[in-house]
Amino acid sequence: MNLAPYYYLTKMRILTNLAYRFDVLVSIGTNLVLMVTAVFLWEAAFSSVQEKNGMGVRDMVTYSIVSTLLGTLFVCGVQDTIYNKVREGQIATDFYKPIPLLAVYFADDLGAVASDFMIKAIPLLISGAIFFGLPLPESPLSFLLFLPSCVFSYVILWFLSAIVGLLAFWVMELGNMGMVKDAIVRVLSGSFVPIWFFPEPLQWISKFLPFQYTYQTPLGIYIGVIGYEQALREMGIQLIWAAVLFLVLALFWRITKKKTLIQGG
Amino acid sequence: MSIIQVERVVKDYITVVKKPGVRAALKSLLFPEKKTVRAVDDISFTIEPGEIVGYIGPNGAGKSTMIKMLSGILHPTSGHIRVCGISPQQNRKAVVQNLGVVFGQRTQLYWDLQLRESFELLRRIYRVDQKTFRENMEMLQAILGLEDFISRPVRQLSLGQRMRGDLAAAMLHSPSILFLDEPTIGLDAEAKHAIRNFIKEINKAKKVTVILTTHDLDDIEELCSRVIIVNRGKIVEDGPIGAIVNKLTPMRLLEIELKEFASVRPHPAAEIVRHDGLHVSYRFDKNQISASDLIADLSKQLPIRDLSVKDPTIEDAIREIYKEKELVSRGA
Amino acid sequence: MFSVLRHYGSVAACYLRLTFQQQLEYPLFLASWILMIPIQYFSGIYLLKVITDHFHHLNGWAFPDLMFIFGLGLLSHGLMVVFFINSWMIGRMVIDGTFDRLLLRPMNVFFQLIASYFNFIGFIDLIPGTIIFLYACSLVGFEWTLPNILKLVLILVGAVFIRAALFVMIGSIAFWTKKNAAVHHFTLVILERTTMYPLNLYPYLIQVLFTFVIPIGFISFYPASAFLDRDRFVLPFDLALLTPIIGFVFYYLSQLIFNWGLRKYESAGT
Repeated sequence: MNLAPYYYLTKMRILTNLAYRFDVLVSIGTNLVLMVTAVFLWEAAFSSVQEKNGMGVRDMVTYSIVSTLLGTLFVCGVQDTIYNKVREGQIATDFYKPIPLLAVYFADDLGAVASDFMIKAIPLLISGAIFFGLPLPESPLSFLLFLPSCVFSYVILWFLSAIVGLLAFWVMELGNMGMVKDAIVRVLSGSFVPIWFFPEPLQWISKFLPFQYTYQTPLGIYIGVIGYEQALREMGIQLIWAAVLFLVLALFWRITKKKTLIQGG
Repeated sequence: MSIIQVERVVKDYITVVKKPGVRAALKSLLFPEKKTVRAVDDISFTIEPGEIVGYIGPNGAGKSTMIKMLSGILHPTSGHIRVCGISPQQNRKAVVQNLGVVFGQRTQLYWDLQLRESFELLRRIYRVDQKTFRENMEMLQAILGLEDFISRPVRQLSLGQRMRGDLAAAMLHSPSILFLDEPTIGLDAEAKHAIRNFIKEINKAKKVTVILTTHDLDDIEELCSRVIIVNRGKIVEDGPIGAIVNKLTPMRLLEIELKEFASVRPHPAAEIVRHDGLHVSYRFDKNQISASDLIADLSKQLPIRDLSVKDPTIEDAIREIYKEKELVSRGA
Repeated sequence: MFSVLRHYGSVAACYLRLTFQQQLEYPLFLASWILMIPIQYFSGIYLLKVITDHFHHLNGWAFPDLMFIFGLGLLSHGLMVVFFINSWMIGRMVIDGTFDRLLLRPMNVFFQLIASYFNFIGFIDLIPGTIIFLYACSLVGFEWTLPNILKLVLILVGAVFIRAALFVMIGSIAFWTKKNAAVHHFTLVILERTTMYPLNLYPYLIQVLFTFVIPIGFISFYPASAFLDRDRFVLPFDLALLTPIIGFVFYYLSQLIFNWGLRKYESAGT
């Protein structure tokens, strides 16, 4: 398989993202606000309580900073890309092209991840470190486990986004369901408040949904709330979800393509 | 008094220079490199009431910029503009009350609503009283044939119908000046004809002054008594079409049909550009020899059955200008 | 004077009717908003509940108080979104050229910008806002007396103007940069974190910034503190009057900036 065209797409995305100087600064600012306010909220919460569920204020500060960093890196432009293509009726012509569209979108998003790492995540990490101290992982080993877990998280989120984007093909009139998905992910991924704080029944339900495996799993591994053994187990679940969502996406993609080609768009 | 006066107008834009490559992109992120571009370079002209003027030139010649300055959207870097004796910079509202503007690429109509709803909004915006509104609508309906689609949502209209709707929208408040930016772009022959007809009608009936930019030279030939040709921000030519064509391309074509085969020889003042059986074409510079002299000379040697003299078209003239432009830019 | 008012009034009424018809053209399109907005705000308040279940209070704010400020902040947000949403569109209109059309009509440009879109969809934001606020009122024992109701109305009006002014200033940036979608998001995030959560969660410097430089604190934090009778924030004036006064002053400032940007737009072009 020739990867050169995908490498080119990724590089082009990096270049275009770099061109938007003003947007970059503002986006760093936005994420900084999200990070700082979350940290202060947890500091206020822990002002009268020393420890909760085995976590101290330091753990939650680290959790919040790294969560914001992941938020800038998990770019899923595929959602809006597919939605807009369907809206403009361009998806039908794209289906006819002899290129694997999903791989193209993925290469494009990877480029955004790479450029965001350079121009957004690093400045954010530095500012976070200046304000609240370096958000260190529990141990070198937890950091090593954290990295692949992040990759799995991203893959899960990306597949989810692609599926939701495709939804537009079937129920165009409903508008961009990606916004609804994003609202759900914000709560159920534990990106702001970890699911451990939720009431028992909700925690139990959440175990059977893919969302908590996107943010809470890598973040829990990072701050050491999820031990090594459990980390491996959760990464296994991440992989299962990634596989399931990939199958759903592939199937959904094929049905959609078939329907488009029959209708002629 | 001239209805439009443009005096030594200059317009500069500042743009950021973009260079290829990741490193250049990063550098531009921190230290953007800026450059001044002169879109309109010391232009002066006046337009009299009731004229139809074509404002033409290649892309990027500063046509839209001039239209925007005349209508008060943009202010010139230097120079003076008067529309109906008023400066659009100083009194925008007074000027635009007397202006109709149509951008061929963009509509001012409400996309999802019936055409008539947009008219109603404009009636209120321009404070047109009911009586005038009714009269104007009747006149516009008669020329543009709006009744077929006035009750349809604009998104369902064909491009030609939409353009007719836009023209009507621009004329509802009886402006004395109409600016048309590419009014026939993308239209079929019939729609183009309807729109040219409309422009002629309102110019004749209501003495509306029209300035139009276009790439369609048929628009110019059919409508404009005068053209202003701009290139690289400067006026290249300004005058009646005939004079400009004459000046730019003085060559004429004499096409002759012979009664019988004969030996055809060149004439000292005209060269043969085509010789095909009984058909012969001579090209000549009318400043060197008049058509009648040439015909008289040739009829002595050739058995002529029929002949015609062809004038060069505005298209040939424009091509001359564009050719010059290419030479200039290649030289630079 | 009267004829000017009648002119603008008649155009505004026509805009109102047209935008209403326009939005009714695609009824199902609202579905994603009708789903997303309540999810977003009810989950936001639920997360605060989860936190206070474990930690009891945030810097003295128990859950009912938090809910009160959250609801109050959300109400003025909803109203702003209904009336002033087009202040978000300046950037887009500058880029696609529709802004030029406003300059071609013999009316005030700012009036045309704001009046030309009355956002009925914004009422969706008001639904969770009203529910959360009314529920919070019953939890904190808010008394529905005439003076209290009057104060509430004044505060909401002032708060809407502070928000609108902020977005007009932000939107005016587009006259210089052409792109400002990112700044909107930035402002929305700041507003959410400072008007729906108590301002005193944050360091003193940030509180000063959002009191004296950008008066966001007057949108909900100071009024809520006053209503809930927290004497930690004694201010010399009655807040019910202070919020609208600050709102109008700030709004006037935003007009100056808008007009400045407009002059820049006219002289620079695109």
